[in-house]
Amino acid sequence: MAAADSPSAALRRRDLCSRGIRLAGKMRADVIDLLDAYVEQQGLDASASVAAVEGVPLAAVERWDEQTGTQRLLENLAAYRAFRALLAQMLEEQREQLGEADAGLGRALAAVLLQVSAFAYHLEELLRLESRGIPGEEEEEDGPPPPPRLSLFEQKLRGLGVLRELAQWALRSVRDLRQLAKPSPATGVAPGLVESP
Amino acid sequence: GSLGDPQNLKCVTHNLHKMLCTWDGSSRGRHTQTDFCYTTNDLTPQVCFKTKERRVEIPVPEGSITVTIKSSGTAFATKEFVIHQKDISFVPATPHILSLMPDFPTSTLNLKWSDNGSVFRYGLDALWQIQILRKEATEVTYYSKLTHEDVILSWNWTSDMPLECTSHYVKIRCYINATQFVGPKDWSDWSPAEMIPGKDTEPGGSGVFPLDPVVAVGSDLTFCCVHEEDQHITNMTYGSKSYTMTQLSSRSHAIRVLNASVSNTSGTNVVCRLEDGLEGSVVFVGYAPDIPQNLSCETSNFLIIKCTWKPGRPSGLYGERRTKYSLFERTSGKNVSCEVSEVSRDHVCDFPVLRDQKTYDFILGVSNPIGQSQSSLMVDITRRVRPKTPEKLTVTGNNSTSIQLRWFINGSFAGTRLLCQIEISSSHSERKLHNVSIPGRKFSTYTAQMNALHPDTKYQFRVRCSAADHFWRWSDWSRGVEQTTSEAPP
Repeated sequence: MAAADSPSAALRRRDLCSRGIRLAGKMRADVIDLLDAYVEQQGLDASASVAAVEGVPLAAVERWDEQTGTQRLLENLAAYRAFRALLAQMLEEQREQLGEADAGLGRALAAVLLQVSAFAYHLEELLRLESRGIPGEEEEEDGPPPPPRLSLFEQKLRGLGVLRELAQWALRSVRDLRQLAKPSPATGVAPGLVESP
Repeated sequence: GSLGDPQNLKCVTHNLHKMLCTWDGSSRGRHTQTDFCYTTNDLTPQVCFKTKERRVEIPVPEGSITVTIKSSGTAFATKEFVIHQKDISFVPATPHILSLMPDFPTSTLNLKWSDNGSVFRYGLDALWQIQILRKEATEVTYYSKLTHEDVILSWNWTSDMPLECTSHYVKIRCYINATQFVGPKDWSDWSPAEMIPGKDTEPGGSGVFPLDPVVAVGSDLTFCCVHEEDQHITNMTYGSKSYTMTQLSSRSHAIRVLNASVSNTSGTNVVCRLEDGLEGSVVFVGYAPDIPQNLSCETSNFLIIKCTWKPGRPSGLYGERRTKYSLFERTSGKNVSCEVSEVSRDHVCDFPVLRDQKTYDFILGVSNPIGQSQSSLMVDITRRVRPKTPEKLTVTGNNSTSIQLRWFINGSFAGTRLLCQIEISSSHSERKLHNVSIPGRKFSTYTAQMNALHPDTKYQFRVRCSAADHFWRWSDWSRGVEQTTSEAPP
């Protein structure tokens, strides 16, 4: 059980949470814009159903209410690290397939990748604040094993799946951070990560 | 003759010098001993042998042959036949396919077979009928000349649909136009069929084919969707348009797209919607590269030769399928690949100036997955000098009627004479141009003296240079410099 929060740590956490909420909100808006541009540029059907894509973390979670603060942060961090690797691969494939044609989409993709990286760092800040060890940065340095070589259409569908799921995750992150920022009923102070219900 | 007599004697030759003769007789005597004799004409002795079969192989006669068949054991079963060449059928031996190899990227089958020419004593014209069986049969005739040797013939056939779409079967038969042979001539039997299995025979072979092809604008394309047996196809679309499907097999449906137009940068999606998922391919439709126009090469510093050209119609292909350029110089054999961006308007390629080489015989090679072209240019580089813009133009001396200028040119012009032009302008006199011819040097500064100026007058100067011998093009103008002459001495 972590020691009761000092007021400054609680304030710092609330500040990090609210900044994180803004970051996630902006990221979601940009991802949705990117998704529209991606669907059009790749000639896809916006309503196309895409099977779960290997390596893409699912935002939907059972018993969301029962998660502890630490679980929320750790799951968020793992997800955004995965998205960082997936978006980097999408960017690489984009350059390979399109070169400098349609550089606009490449720039938008790179911008979202930057935001995802920044948000992952932000989550690490929150974890450090709670003197929580940052999970396996080294193991994840090389990121997930490279997926099998997909055909171009499969690459397009995977990109669609990645962006859709990232938009969902941004939404979930906002809710998770709001949850973390809530003061606990007893002390009126934002709870240490462990005490969250 | 009675029922038991040998009858219906028929002879067939496969090689024009031996023939196989068969006959009918009573079923009772099927395996009894038979005396078979033949003689081609009165001069040669009769040849006889015993056989239990009702078939014998004997020489093809030049004219006619008399055959006597006596079934031993029954005195009456002796029959004589006179066979003329016109009674003998010539049916080539059944050909055999040596190999049938698929090349999936190009949807091409390569067929190899032996023409069995060694069985014939002289050259003959041969016709080969090749049947390709899929959903519907396709028949093609191929001609060759037999040369008394066994020659392995090779033939390519490009399918109008990807080989993956469904199994392709190939068989072949032969007809030999032996004009000297007067008997009836016929096609051989069909060879056993060889098969290239389609993906619709493979478990888990689902997908849309061809996969991610690059094709020329205007092509007629066939795409197929291979799916599992029990999977229902909802539709197949090319881009945003749905197409009528043709069923190739229980696991394969195809669409036909005519006169394909150029695809957008990320390619045109061919999507097969199944009840529980999507399969797809991305087709890139573009143009083969145009022949580069206005190829021109010059050097600005005698270190690098810069070639420029007009690419012509954009190919419509990007990224790893973009049009690539390379510059090959025939004299030195040196080849340089050019970094050219498909979206930028300028097409430029740098080639190093080679020691002791004045004349360059360039070939600009252009290629993309659809085709290639080239342009060539022979150039004497000393006649294609366009110096870089003169830099650091400064005034180094000044009195009431003259001003000395100095500037720097980035380049190696030793051995080249430079012609520099100085533009002189002032408020109360017309713009004048003053030419000076200067021996070039390596990465050097140059000076020039402007005389006959007016005292106490503000002047603006700028300079540009070119090669003095074999003028080609001026450099750009340098930045200007301003100077006022001093007052005249009292």
